[in-house]
Amino acid sequence: MEVLKISKDDFRSFVQKKIENSDQRTIGVVKKGSHFAYADLESVEDMQMDYNVTMLPPKKYFQPPKEILLKFKPKDASSYVAVNQCDKIALIGVHYYDLASLFLMDKAFSDGERDEHYMKKRENSVMVGMYPTKYFKYRFAKSVLRDQAYKVADIMLVDMGDDYVVEVVSEKGREYIDGGNFVENKYSLLEIDEAKNKIKDDQRIPVPIELIPEYLVKNHGHKVWEDFGNKCFSCGSCVLVCPTCYCFDVSEEVELSLQNGTRVRTWDGCMLEDFAVCGDGHNFRKEKGARFRHRMFRKGKGLPEKFHSFGCVGCGRCAYSCASDIAGPVKILKYMEDNK
Amino acid sequence: MGAKPKVAFFDFASCEGCQLQIANLEEEVIGLAELVDIVEFREILTGKAPEYDIAFIEGAITRDVDEKKIKDIRSRSKVLVALGQCAVSGGIPRLKNNNPSLDNVKKMVYGDKYNMPHLDTYPTKAVNEVVKVDLYLPGCPINNKEFLRFVKEISLGIMPKLPNYPVCVECKLKENECLFDLGQICLGPLARAGCDAICPSNGVPCEACRGTVDNPNKNAMHEILEKYNYTVEEIKRKINIFGVDPEVKK
Ligand code: SF4
Ligand code: SF4
Ligand code: SF4
Ligand code: SF4
Ligand code: SF4
Repeated sequence: MEVLKISKDDFRSFVQKKIENSDQRTIGVVKKGSHFAYADLESVEDMQMDYNVTMLPPKKYFQPPKEILLKFKPKDASSYVAVNQCDKIALIGVHYYDLASLFLMDKAFSDGERDEHYMKKRENSVMVGMYPTKYFKYRFAKSVLRDQAYKVADIMLVDMGDDYVVEVVSEKGREYIDGGNFVENKYSLLEIDEAKNKIKDDQRIPVPIELIPEYLVKNHGHKVWEDFGNKCFSCGSCVLVCPTCYCFDVSEEVELSLQNGTRVRTWDGCMLEDFAVCGDGHNFRKEKGARFRHRMFRKGKGLPEKFHSFGCVGCGRCAYSCASDIAGPVKILKYMEDNK
Repeated sequence: MGAKPKVAFFDFASCEGCQLQIANLEEEVIGLAELVDIVEFREILTGKAPEYDIAFIEGAITRDVDEKKIKDIRSRSKVLVALGQCAVSGGIPRLKNNNPSLDNVKKMVYGDKYNMPHLDTYPTKAVNEVVKVDLYLPGCPINNKEFLRFVKEISLGIMPKLPNYPVCVECKLKENECLFDLGQICLGPLARAGCDAICPSNGVPCEACRGTVDNPNKNAMHEILEKYNYTVEEIKRKINIFGVDPEVKK
């Protein structure tokens, strides 16, 4: 892997040039009140490289909250036309845990039947990742996965103060930086490693992650599910903000004229009360506790067994977004440990 | 329904804000007129028809004359929809029921003119306390996009459904800062979505003006509000603004 460096000023000019290039959207992190969100950059002035976490993860660009899959004319059964809106995009400043989440998402959308809507968007994207420069109280990414980030990143940035160290991970990344003032790296491996690890996580998963699948099975009847379930609003915040949650619903919408219709895919999630209701009205997970357990089992057992990787990247968004403060995997596992 | 469905609008005790939302539809009104025949609508036209395929009822029932009128409308309507929270649950006009003396309420509002005969009303009833209601379109005011969906689906013979998830879902999709983070109290986790989280998106806490989801976790809301040092009475008042039963099973 080639390692270069660029001064922060030069990097900003580089991004500004990219923004002005109209055949690719440049997406970065911007301020939203006192929080942060990914958005199309209009000027590099808006770009925040020093942020704790974004409200929604980058999945919104690959699996949009509401996406048109097909267009049709309700009165003509042969009128179906597939729609796949996928612009060329570059995402700048994606933290490594969000890159790791896309590793899981890529697997979910390509395992078995390939999902063209998701995969095309991924193929049309350039991912410029980075190591976080700001502490976030709920993050525990270090205690889960990190190597997966390099399977998704095209470029990785490491903040060295006045410069970024630039790890060129893929050929796509190599092409992307063409024309910028990227020069020979002068930092030692030790310095780079220190910078990568500068921001500490306070939280740790209290159980070794490779043991979590069997740990959960053993604790299928643990009181945590009911105790925490009782506090749950079934508001879905924890799954909507989660970078590794990909559940969706598909429905049809018809215009008022009744002449044109669309088939749309919208975000859905297992924490919502009606998620597991089937055609005859039966709800497979009627109780809040059962839904609460299901989510943890997806992250800690289902995904690991399918994709050989823990299903949670430790971003801490769920913990932060939960009004009842019960959604964080660290908190759940600690409660289980404390109440054996 | 064959030909274009005949649609009528009626109002009872309300601010007429919900009908205004419909009058505000602008260009969609034309599409609406192609889909259905609007036979009565005081905000934009007046007329009379012997029967209605869809009757939208705005407002709560507060007088005997209203009861007679709504029963008559019911007998001539195939589908009767409670339009807006006044009709759905009694809404804002129902707040007076919380006061043990209706005379006191009138004195508070109208001062020494409180005894005028047209102010004579009984405790507010939701429409379904008087006649059978087929469908509920909640909100104070209603969301006019949801109204269009209702009209479209009823016309197509589909039973419109309301979202059964909380306002937080729509709020999260808009990437709003959660008002709890900003030190405010928001009823979003209990409230039924469908309004596109319009209040929190504008920095205003949700008051559950569309009522709650089917199984709101009021216990959990009480716990949160207690953490913020609200008294039980304050909590109940907050939850009850739009007629949500504030009691919890402990
Ligand atoms: S965010 Fe919290 S309250 Fe909402 S569904 Fe998740 S666990 Fe339940
Ligand atoms: S489960 Fe929570 S901490 Fe883990 S990836 Fe999802 S949102 Fe982040
Ligand atoms: S529900 Fe609200 S907006 Fe609609 S009529 Fe009643 S008070 Fe007015
Ligand atoms: S502001 Fe209100 S509606 Fe929005 S997420 Fe927070 S609690 Fe839910
Ligand atoms: S956010 Fe709450 S109060 Fe505002 S319109 Fe929606 S349900 Fe009503």
